[in-house]
Amino acid sequence: MLILLRNNAGSAAISQARNIAKRLLSTTTANRNPETTPATEHYDIIIGGGGLVGTTLAAALVNNVTLADKKVLLLEGAPPFKGFDPSGPYQNRVSAINRNSVELFKSINAWTHIEQARYKPVKQMQVWESNSDALIQFQHDNFASDVACIIENDLILDAVYARVKELDNVKVLNKARIECVGLPGKTGAPHSQVKLQDGRSFTCELLIGADGANSVVRKEMGVDVLSFNYDRMGLVATLDLNMDDDCDNSVAWQRFLPTGPVALLPLSAKHSSLVWSTTVPHAKELLAMDANAFTDALNEAFCRQYPRVDLADKALQGLNALFGNSSAQHQRQYPPRVCGVQDGSRATFPLGFLHASSYVCNGAALVGDAAHRIHPLAGQGVNLGFGDVRRLVETLAAGAYAGFKLGDTQHLVKYERKCLAKNVPIMVGVHGLHTLYSTDFSPVVLMRSLGLQLTQNLPPIKNLFMKTAMG
Amino acid sequence: MFRNLSLLKRSNLLARKISLDAGAGTGSTQQTSETIREVKHHENLAANWWNKKGPMAALHALNEIRVPLIRDGIVARGNVNSRYINTTKVLSGQCILEVGCGAGLLTEQLARLGAQVTGIDLGEELIKTAKEHLSNCSAELCDRVQYKMEPIDQHVKANFERYDALVVSEVLEHVDDKVALLSACVKTLKPGGSIFITTMNKTVPMWIGGVVVGEYILNIAPKGTHHWDKMIAPLDVQRILDTMNCQTVLVNGSTYDFCRNTWRWINSTQLCYALQAVKQMPSECS
Repeated sequence: MLILLRNNAGSAAISQARNIAKRLLSTTTANRNPETTPATEHYDIIIGGGGLVGTTLAAALVNNVTLADKKVLLLEGAPPFKGFDPSGPYQNRVSAINRNSVELFKSINAWTHIEQARYKPVKQMQVWESNSDALIQFQHDNFASDVACIIENDLILDAVYARVKELDNVKVLNKARIECVGLPGKTGAPHSQVKLQDGRSFTCELLIGADGANSVVRKEMGVDVLSFNYDRMGLVATLDLNMDDDCDNSVAWQRFLPTGPVALLPLSAKHSSLVWSTTVPHAKELLAMDANAFTDALNEAFCRQYPRVDLADKALQGLNALFGNSSAQHQRQYPPRVCGVQDGSRATFPLGFLHASSYVCNGAALVGDAAHRIHPLAGQGVNLGFGDVRRLVETLAAGAYAGFKLGDTQHLVKYERKCLAKNVPIMVGVHGLHTLYSTDFSPVVLMRSLGLQLTQNLPPIKNLFMKTAMG
Repeated sequence: MFRNLSLLKRSNLLARKISLDAGAGTGSTQQTSETIREVKHHENLAANWWNKKGPMAALHALNEIRVPLIRDGIVARGNVNSRYINTTKVLSGQCILEVGCGAGLLTEQLARLGAQVTGIDLGEELIKTAKEHLSNCSAELCDRVQYKMEPIDQHVKANFERYDALVVSEVLEHVDDKVALLSACVKTLKPGGSIFITTMNKTVPMWIGGVVVGEYILNIAPKGTHHWDKMIAPLDVQRILDTMNCQTVLVNGSTYDFCRNTWRWINSTQLCYALQAVKQMPSECS
């Protein structure tokens, strides 16, 4: 008992001494540079992470009539964005932007900026595989509208940053790395708190975690996360194509190989962007190759004959005959020949799956990769993030117009419900496709080939998939 | 099936109102015991009032539909500057009285839209909790919110025809003398102003869902919160208001989904309902 008491007394004394020291320290620093360490600044909304999704969210928030008077702070770890040169070489990181995301850019007046620079509309998408003749093509009737647009990530950032700079209520803080976060549910304080590594601290009504797959905000929220790595790498590169002058290169190509999908996304008449998911050793090998060897390996990947599953081919013939179509072999188009890869454009990144069980808590919400991360095979990752942006802005505006605090879970939960209903089926679908196509086990090949061909032949099902993928 | 359970929670609020009613009535001394019971009943919940997952969860959720109802009801009367519409200042300049405000769930939210809100209640603990929450958690609203512990018949003396809008939400079902309460309320309302009432209907489905299932089976609300005798049908409310020169312009039915803790509007007023009535200009009096 006595020892306990003494211990307690001792620790109390120590903590008291610490507190005094802290107070002394803080007062001295405050006295020394009263300007560089101001009292905690308060914002309505703080967005942690100035990537594609975070920056777009900042612009979308302030662009909303109801939320226009809210003060927004965007925290970005990197130095100021260096800008984008639309006449320079194509960037290697690109996104397939669906119609709903384009609508989002239009609504925040960022689309003209992109339109005036450069982007490539995709009129058709062809997906086929290596172990059978199964194939599917996505397009609108008579190619009336685009399936997606291929836009360089830096151009999107440039466009939304241009908008953010015009808006008075958004402040961007660069080189701002979050050290720790405090949420009202745990601290008991009325506001969320953010402390930066350089010592500055902020409070806000709502803290939004747009800080990617390793989100600090998500960790502080303490939500359960389902995540795993695919043991695959994605390799990106900018490619030169050997195209006839009269071809406009507006088809996106994707072939499922036993090691993972390889995709060509059109950038211009003569250029395409590559996204090649493959095993880690293979990706490293491809990265180290000289340009010619790489081009050959890539062309081979699109054309090489793999061991076929005869039964699947026969079943497909039968299926196509049933629908009165010519065989898949005749429907197939071949991608353009790649004749070169741009210097220094090859880069790799790890592939993984992640989903947070909950997107919101009192005083905080997650968007984009902080809440979900998927395989790039359907080009859905960033579109899911932009979908989050639309739904979050909608929910916050409705909540604010009904007098709720921005961080009130009562209405934030609606954002989560809407997002889960939309994101979970896509995530399950994309993960399922990855699993389905990462084997060459004959019965699986047979089933997936039949499934794909059936989808190709049944317009209602195909349209359903297209609609889901396009937002 | 059990959607109406939340109604029970509302009944707590009603209890407070009853007390108000009692005060308004002539025989206030006779009603005191029942009034005191209702007020005590609600005061016991004061500590947990602001807990979103506590016994008042349904009341928190009700804000999702009652705030837009009041907001749009006021906007629809044409008294709101059009440049405020769709902004968070939409109720700027509106003077609102909330009768039976409890610990201020609705009061703060209306003030956050720019309104000057006065909340009155008979529960001392409740008013104390409301004031504490205001200064601790919503300090920015301090100059727009006022809480007072007084009965409406006393409040009306100093505030005759002062308010642009009046909110009597989840109170009527706790009050015995509804006529006395409503007549005192209407006196504080400017001609052309609106009174908003939300309460539960006097129907068998409501009684089964709200009282039998809600209080005695699922314990969503404490037993004895709601009573058949105190429930009132929308037509009766309308009739009472008619006699006070208030014309009912809107009656909406609503229901509670206790699994998801959400309220939604429905086509039927069999369960709960919200009602808006407008006090007529003196010239329109017959």
